[in-house]
Amino acid sequence: MKLSGEALRARLEQELGAESVEFRPLFLEAYAVDGKSPGLLCLPAGPEEVASVLRLCAENQASVIPWGGGTSMSLGNIPRAAGVVVGLEKLAQLIEHDDANLTATAQAGMQVAAFQELLGQRRQFFPVDPPLAQLATLGGIVAANVNGPRRMQYGGVRDLTIGMKVALATGEQIKSGGKVVKNVAGYDLCKLFVGSLGTLGIITEVTLRMAPLPDSAASVVAAGPLDRCARFVEQLSDGPLLPAAVTILSAGGNAQTPAVATWVEGFEEAVARQLRDLAALADEAGLASEALRQEPHRRLWEEVEDFGANGEGVLFRIAVPIGAMGEILATIDRWSGEAATPARYVAHAGTGTVWLLAGNDPSSLGWFPRLIALAQGHKGHVVVAAAPPELKAGIDVWGPAPASLGLMREIKRRFDPQEILNPGRFLGGL
Amino acid sequence: MSRDDLINQLRAIVGEKYLLLEKEDVIVYEQDGSILQAMPEIVVLPGNAGEVAEVVKAAKRAGAPIVPRGSGTGLAGGAVPAEGGIVLSLARLNRILEIDLKNRLAVVEPGVINLDVSKAIAQDGFFYAPDPSSQAACSIGGNVANNSGGPHTLAYGVTTNHVLGVEVVLDDGRVVWLGGRVADSPGYDLCGVFVGSEGTMGIVTKAAVRLMRTRESVRTLLAVFDRTEAATKTVVDVTAAGIIPAALEMMDRLTISAVAQAVPGVYPRDAEAVLLVEVEGLTETTERAIRLVQTICERSGAREVRIAANQAERQLLWKGRKEAFGAMGLLAPNYYVQDGVVPRSRLPEIMKQVAEIGERYRLRIANVFHAGDGNLHPNILFDMRAPGELDRVIEAGAAILKACVDAGGSITGEHGIGLEKKAYIGLLFNEYDLEAMARVRRVFDPEGRFNPAKLFPTPVSCGEVRRQPQTIPAGLWI
Ligand SMILES: Cc1cc2nc3c(=O)[nH]c(=O)nc-3n(C[C@H](O)[C@H](O)[C@H](O)COP(=O)(O)OP(=O)(O)OC[C@H]3O[C@@H](n4cnc5c(N)ncnc54)[C@H](O)[C@@H]3O)c2cc1C
Repeated sequence: MKLSGEALRARLEQELGAESVEFRPLFLEAYAVDGKSPGLLCLPAGPEEVASVLRLCAENQASVIPWGGGTSMSLGNIPRAAGVVVGLEKLAQLIEHDDANLTATAQAGMQVAAFQELLGQRRQFFPVDPPLAQLATLGGIVAANVNGPRRMQYGGVRDLTIGMKVALATGEQIKSGGKVVKNVAGYDLCKLFVGSLGTLGIITEVTLRMAPLPDSAASVVAAGPLDRCARFVEQLSDGPLLPAAVTILSAGGNAQTPAVATWVEGFEEAVARQLRDLAALADEAGLASEALRQEPHRRLWEEVEDFGANGEGVLFRIAVPIGAMGEILATIDRWSGEAATPARYVAHAGTGTVWLLAGNDPSSLGWFPRLIALAQGHKGHVVVAAAPPELKAGIDVWGPAPASLGLMREIKRRFDPQEILNPGRFLGGL
Repeated sequence: MSRDDLINQLRAIVGEKYLLLEKEDVIVYEQDGSILQAMPEIVVLPGNAGEVAEVVKAAKRAGAPIVPRGSGTGLAGGAVPAEGGIVLSLARLNRILEIDLKNRLAVVEPGVINLDVSKAIAQDGFFYAPDPSSQAACSIGGNVANNSGGPHTLAYGVTTNHVLGVEVVLDDGRVVWLGGRVADSPGYDLCGVFVGSEGTMGIVTKAAVRLMRTRESVRTLLAVFDRTEAATKTVVDVTAAGIIPAALEMMDRLTISAVAQAVPGVYPRDAEAVLLVEVEGLTETTERAIRLVQTICERSGAREVRIAANQAERQLLWKGRKEAFGAMGLLAPNYYVQDGVVPRSRLPEIMKQVAEIGERYRLRIANVFHAGDGNLHPNILFDMRAPGELDRVIEAGAAILKACVDAGGSITGEHGIGLEKKAYIGLLFNEYDLEAMARVRRVFDPEGRFNPAKLFPTPVSCGEVRRQPQTIPAGLWI
């Protein structure tokens, strides 16, 4: 029999301890998703407790919103219900850093910045640069498939996640993969959970690939008109250089003109050579360039990483083939020039991801269908990555459903038959 | 539907020429690169995705299993028709449909041979990174199904890291794309889940794969050791020093002795172990990295370190490595290759255990493997004709896999579970883990007709699987 809200709370308190279950509305507001405040916040102390909460919620058909650092909570459609938020802040342990294997295992609620700090003690790091790394958790960036500029060199979250433990909606705890970098035993279920936005289970532990901290790192910023920036990028990608990130920044904010920022890292002599070659490339393309090291380099990329992450507007994520980048950005610039308030973007040219930030007003939604048509013309796609709830109402932020939606529905049905996990936030209302 | 009806329908779909029923025709399809065999009943060779879909529909109507087959180089019995039914060969779907260098991708049919992708773009300065040692023969469809790796996947990643999307035929004959031509397709990463599913979810009829730019500089080094432990320790130290070579391969004494006969003069006959290390990238990077590797090798007691001075020397160093598998035949009439994998930090101890297992089962084991990934390939040498020896070989293989799992590793790094290792998957996954996989299987293949009796630890319910020596075509290496 289904318990009342009160009774469910009592059961959860019994299971986790009263101090780990919050029900006072004042405290719950901070956990609102698209304006919907949950009825309860649970803070399980370990994977067992996460599974218990899920089991209880499933038995009582209470909806569950997993919560890492809360930095990707504006991603997704408005949830149909926000019953119980399951906060993972108590699952914050580093379990193992096997530096000689270049892997590390940590609980899902561990914050990225804290993780990086521990890894740094042995001169390694996790090569994903999420926005708001102080807050973002490992489980959160894996579930939301959050990537940063250096994906070009190191691969994305889906490439770097080699093992995980998950508590399923039905209460079982499972594992997938392991801590070896090459592994084809059984289905690769890690791929299923990466980017599933907490709609199939709650990730409790992840094993990730590390990279050695580079000896040296620097950037070149080359500024000038967009067509020249695009030419620079083309020349760069046709040549031998191996940058960690290449990002086109639109004009706007403090910038008078667009610019390309290129991040290079590795042995100092390789960095020095790339800085030289990049300056020459910029010259050829008619761009004014400047090399940055240390603090200015670090600040530049922090700004790029955090772009649009503070709820300052409607944020679109556009994915296109890398060769189409120049053309796509030129079109965006033209549309932006015609708009009442121009949009700004950062465009990762090595991976084909554009983050476009438009104002926080209803007119910004006008971008969506146009961007979809533009991206689809190149077999790409567009997602509204963040928007105020009143603008999200009535649209599918994930864009048009793919032909494989039927298979996705079946996956959801088999992993979360009662639709308790993040109901409605995923594409097609999953 | 009767068997005759099915056969008539298949004939109507693919034509007389591409439907094989006679023993002398189907026998070619009874085995892959493993030691397992089962005689197929029906083999079809459709010519395009539409025909594949029609074959799948006919099979569904007849309730017949379908075993997809690429080039048949798999080492786990994946393409062996253990439960009868239809062997569906993708060999005729062998066109490279599109090469888009600007966007760094190619769209290919599943029967395209791995090496042919790189060959088609080499003159433009590009390559397709996953390079199984069987790349001269294996197909892209087989690579996708097995999520294959290779020597150079250490730096560049395995097949799953290079497949953007696949077109697949589902169990009811529907044709859909999973993933696409760009990253991060909205929704569940079904392409990611499909890669490595060993033909149990559907048939790949197209794949969109990433292409990479050839690096400006390659440096290759051979390090010769008098002690195995010094070599394995070097592998650990190279990784710990933060150097990620493009390839880091190891061969042990037995392998070296075989290679020394097959390709004299490359590796010193009396060495206990050699490491072949390759770094790729910018000239400045490779210069420094190769010197660092050299220093580490010397510090660990390498008796000789030889850096290839030019392309010819480099090819010679690799020739030894590439001939290693073929040379096994000089050591014993038969061999059985395992594919366990351990965290790289555990390499020294696992190699000791492999040697102990060899002694315990009174078998010689020749190791030639992707050391940088922790991916072992112990070749257990034996003689098929000696009574009881094969059983001992299988037991020794199982003991090695168990040791790998105990060291925090896995039972297969690249060859797959297939028929061969399904009994061992329980070493890694419990019933809940496997049930989660089975849920995904049921989404794609509710009737369990795609490659039944593979990957999951269910017993073979009918049909007969026999064991025969491996027959590896010339030009392939492990
Ligand atoms: C000498 C030698 C060296 C090798 N070296 C390596 C190596 O370095 N790395 C490595 O990873 N592997 C290696 N292998 C193993 C093997 O080559 C790979 O697994 C390869 O990917 C198999 O490709 P194939 O086309 O031969 O597939 P097959 O053997 O025909 O089939 C393999 C599996 O894929 C399925 N399949 C095939 N095509 C399709 C399709 N279109 N759709 C769905 N399922 C399909 C089959 O049902 C089967 O389960 C080696 C094998 C040999 C013999």
